[in-house]
Amino acid sequence: MRYVVLAGLLAAGAAAAQEPQAAAAPLGGNPFARVLMLPDVSAIGSGALVWNQKDVRVVSPRSDPYGPGGKVQPVFQELEVALQSVVDPYARADVFLTFHPDGAGVEEAYLTTLGLPAGLQIRAGTLKSPFGRLNQQHPHVWDFVGTPLPMARLLAVDALEGPGVDVAWLAPVPWFLELHLAYQDTVPGFETAGRRTGVAHLLQYFDVAEGTTLGVGLSAARLDEPGAGAWRDLYGADLFLKIRPPQGRAYLTLQGELFARRLSGLADPAQDGTRLGGYLQALWRQDAYWGYGARWESAPAAGPGLSGAENRWTALATWYPSEFQRLRLQVSDDRLPGGSTGWEALLAMEFIIGAHGAHPF
Amino acid sequence: MHPIPRLASLLLALVPAAAGASLQVVTTTDGLAALARDVGGDRVAVTALSHGNQDPHFVDPNPNLAVKLRDADLLVDVGLDLEIGWLPPLVNQSRNAGIQPGNERRFTAASAIRVLDVPTGPVDRSLGDLHPAGNPHFLDDPRRAVEVAQAMAAKLASLDPAGAAGYRARAADFARRIGADEQRWLAALKPFRGQAIIAKHPTVTYLARWAGLRIVGYLEPKPGVEPPPSHLAEMVEVARAQKVRAILVETYYDTRTAALVAKLSGARVASIPGDVGASRTATGYQAYMDEVVKALAGALAP
Repeated sequence: MRYVVLAGLLAAGAAAAQEPQAAAAPLGGNPFARVLMLPDVSAIGSGALVWNQKDVRVVSPRSDPYGPGGKVQPVFQELEVALQSVVDPYARADVFLTFHPDGAGVEEAYLTTLGLPAGLQIRAGTLKSPFGRLNQQHPHVWDFVGTPLPMARLLAVDALEGPGVDVAWLAPVPWFLELHLAYQDTVPGFETAGRRTGVAHLLQYFDVAEGTTLGVGLSAARLDEPGAGAWRDLYGADLFLKIRPPQGRAYLTLQGELFARRLSGLADPAQDGTRLGGYLQALWRQDAYWGYGARWESAPAAGPGLSGAENRWTALATWYPSEFQRLRLQVSDDRLPGGSTGWEALLAMEFIIGAHGAHPF
Repeated sequence: MHPIPRLASLLLALVPAAAGASLQVVTTTDGLAALARDVGGDRVAVTALSHGNQDPHFVDPNPNLAVKLRDADLLVDVGLDLEIGWLPPLVNQSRNAGIQPGNERRFTAASAIRVLDVPTGPVDRSLGDLHPAGNPHFLDDPRRAVEVAQAMAAKLASLDPAGAAGYRARAADFARRIGADEQRWLAALKPFRGQAIIAKHPTVTYLARWAGLRIVGYLEPKPGVEPPPSHLAEMVEVARAQKVRAILVETYYDTRTAALVAKLSGARVASIPGDVGASRTATGYQAYMDEVVKALAGALAP
């Protein structure tokens, strides 16, 4: 509706510009002017039919949508409402509210500066930590449904995020080289209490050939742990390769991230140590309407009595009826330590309405 | 190579290519870049963020493009939401306050022309992926290209007053040259005035209006919507009934559906360059329009 009024106003403006003598100035000014001041408003809804062979809640705790073992379960995942606009000539604001089965909350709400000198840009508010690649994206941007197991187990259940400030510096070199330093209050792993968190992220993109872009990033974070001298250190390496011939809509992406978590100085020394995990995925977007992918994940098992790596293989087929919805069929084989296997299937739908800002690469 | 010359060559690579030019102009498309070169001459160094063989609706927001925007003295975009899917995040990443929408170093070409296809009734996405502010595919109308060039000259003059006279003179020269070319192009298309055509997408509204052609259907049932077989069958009937000779498809679109309708209806597929730079020979605006007119005339000829 906003665009209807906007289009009408623009048309009226264009006509007035062409015929300044003929068009009478409207009496009383523009009664719809306040509509022009509204932020972009959009809503993104997602839900799924899920089937898990095993009781995932017990043997493989995670944040993905899942159902009781052996039954097809309808799941409402999330409704995201976004409000986005410039604040003034110096900053813009992006607010993302989230409604999900556990309640409602602020997914992100932050101010971004637009014209600081020396290549600096500051985001302040509550925001996803600049750590790795998927952690900074909203789930509706992800190719696959659900948080990769290593992210959920080693970083945070949904994302490493929280109130704080992120200072990003764009280096004065001919390629994209950005350094982020952030200070936030985040909630790591499957825990509830917030921790003071320092994050550093170095991100670079290279145009390696026409239509081929390589992105590489390194991340590190330090979180305080309860007890004097106790720390949680997180390390990450991310890689993104996109091959897209300029003509047409088809492309191939390869993406992977490695995560390491090191606990030190804990009251229980048995908990100290380093755990590793990662994922690697490929997506082939055949055209505007179809895409296919495969993903491998490895993460420390989290079920009772399980130790060692949990590995999951996933195949994905996506149908995009338009730019504004997609239907994804995802089948996984989750292998727990000891060789036990659980099949999983998801049929997930997603839609977007309204004016939603374009996402970074 | 000795380490010192190697270091020197690396440092040289960091220097912007056209350091002698007064203004770094970045455009979103090759067509706008061509106009900027015509108007700016050697006072500007022009970089395009996308190329003529790309669909301008779906360019990737590659962060390296934000680096180009960081150094821009002027950003020229088409507007009317053509670049809505990729330009805003790049402008945000650029740290360049002047090129934000509405700021002094931003020139939106649509602001210089009378826009067609502005919706006058209710608009939502049940109508397809249309542009609610109006049709942004206007550079294939030479009259509008001249209007954009002249407005661009005024913008360049305001940013670089020392070169103002030169910008105005080059814009006037561009208008004279294109005016003469336009007579030649219209003469080539005169035999086909009033003929019916079918297009893939509403990208040729301005071109058809300028050339006096009637658009009687689109291969897409709604903008951006894949045609079901029933719609293609309807287009075959329309093509036969209206004696359509040409089905216009820009080079960045797949031509399979156009070829099918053409085969079944007896029409020809006119593969027209989507923009300057869509082919190796369409290196400037004049050469681009030469190719558009040649492709049109070739397909419309009996």
